[in-house]
Amino acid sequence: MAAREVAEVPAAGATVPLEVRIGFAHASVQWIADRCGADLLHVKGAALDPTLVPDRGFSDADVLVRPAHVARVLAELRQHGWELINSFAYGSSFEHSATLRHHDFGLLDLHRLYPGAGPTPEAAFATLWSERRTTTLGGRSCAVPARGAQAALLLLHAARGGADPKAARDVDYLWHRATDDERQQVLDWVDRLDARLGFSVILGELDEHRDDPAYDLWRVAARGGTRMEEWRARVRAARGLRAKAHVAGRSVLVNVEHLTIVRGRPVSRREVIAEFFDRPLRGAREQLARLRSARQGRNR
Amino acid sequence: MTPAFRPAADVGVTVSRDGATVYVARLPAGPILVLDGAGAVIWAEATEGPADGWIDRVADAFDVPASGIAADALAFVHSLCGDGLLDEADAVRAT
Repeated sequence: MAAREVAEVPAAGATVPLEVRIGFAHASVQWIADRCGADLLHVKGAALDPTLVPDRGFSDADVLVRPAHVARVLAELRQHGWELINSFAYGSSFEHSATLRHHDFGLLDLHRLYPGAGPTPEAAFATLWSERRTTTLGGRSCAVPARGAQAALLLLHAARGGADPKAARDVDYLWHRATDDERQQVLDWVDRLDARLGFSVILGELDEHRDDPAYDLWRVAARGGTRMEEWRARVRAARGLRAKAHVAGRSVLVNVEHLTIVRGRPVSRREVIAEFFDRPLRGAREQLARLRSARQGRNR
Repeated sequence: MTPAFRPAADVGVTVSRDGATVYVARLPAGPILVLDGAGAVIWAEATEGPADGWIDRVADAFDVPASGIAADALAFVHSLCGDGLLDEADAVRAT
């Protein structure tokens, strides 16, 4: 009879389409959440309402976990074949997600907060959770945000996308082509999620928020910047002296998890040390390149 | 309408858009089982259509007499049950 088990890692030529694997990634994390009594929302990607942005591709599964349940879900995932390959601190300048990989199901981004949504991660989750819907992913019933909230979240994601064509397409469908009613729904969710800073990128009004401690984070995310500028923005956005010192101290450490992925094998102590020295130099080189570019621009 | 079988509780199922392939994953940790051809048709008829006459419908799909495939079809679904991927519904009437 025509049945076969698929054991290979997700790769070109694999017999299971990527979207099927990702659907099962959602189902897997939902199974785990159900088992350990955790609340989570499936966001973006396969979980996105297909009427929002037609034919939008995706390459991983994204879930937003109630902050108080994050540690529990992470621990359970690692008990069931999910390998942590990038932790929160090194995931992005917003330190919002950890990345896990599964042999059969591919990549999962586990969000402990959604950049731009607040006023606190707990409040943002509660607001989204209060109007959740369900959809079926990988054969499992999964909670997703309401349609208008999905649009607002995707626009906040696009606000961090810089010149990414996919982000531009999202903005085109969700904002530029949106009806007045759809725009109003988005704006309502932006208000409810205290997301005016991040959303100001979409409206072209980011610079009106220069005094906000997180302004630089959004500026660098939306318009680009050097590694140094990114870390400076992280420090500025961190709340309180202790948090600022923590971020600043970490900026010179080496992301061993990331190095392991890049090299495709465990990294040696020598490589970690080499990276320790190379990283600040790389930041400096980027700064110099930017300065030279600006100088040349002025001399033209 | 009660199907003859249902996917087990710890199983995820995805059917390809053309209906020709069924992907079955053990949850939460895999692996993924791919059913195509006769396997996909048997899964669909055993789990989605009414229990009454599910083997007849499989036979119709391949234009063969039910008597010629009944033993193989039943053996297949029972092997899936044995692997913990399918559960037998309460009242199973094979033909």
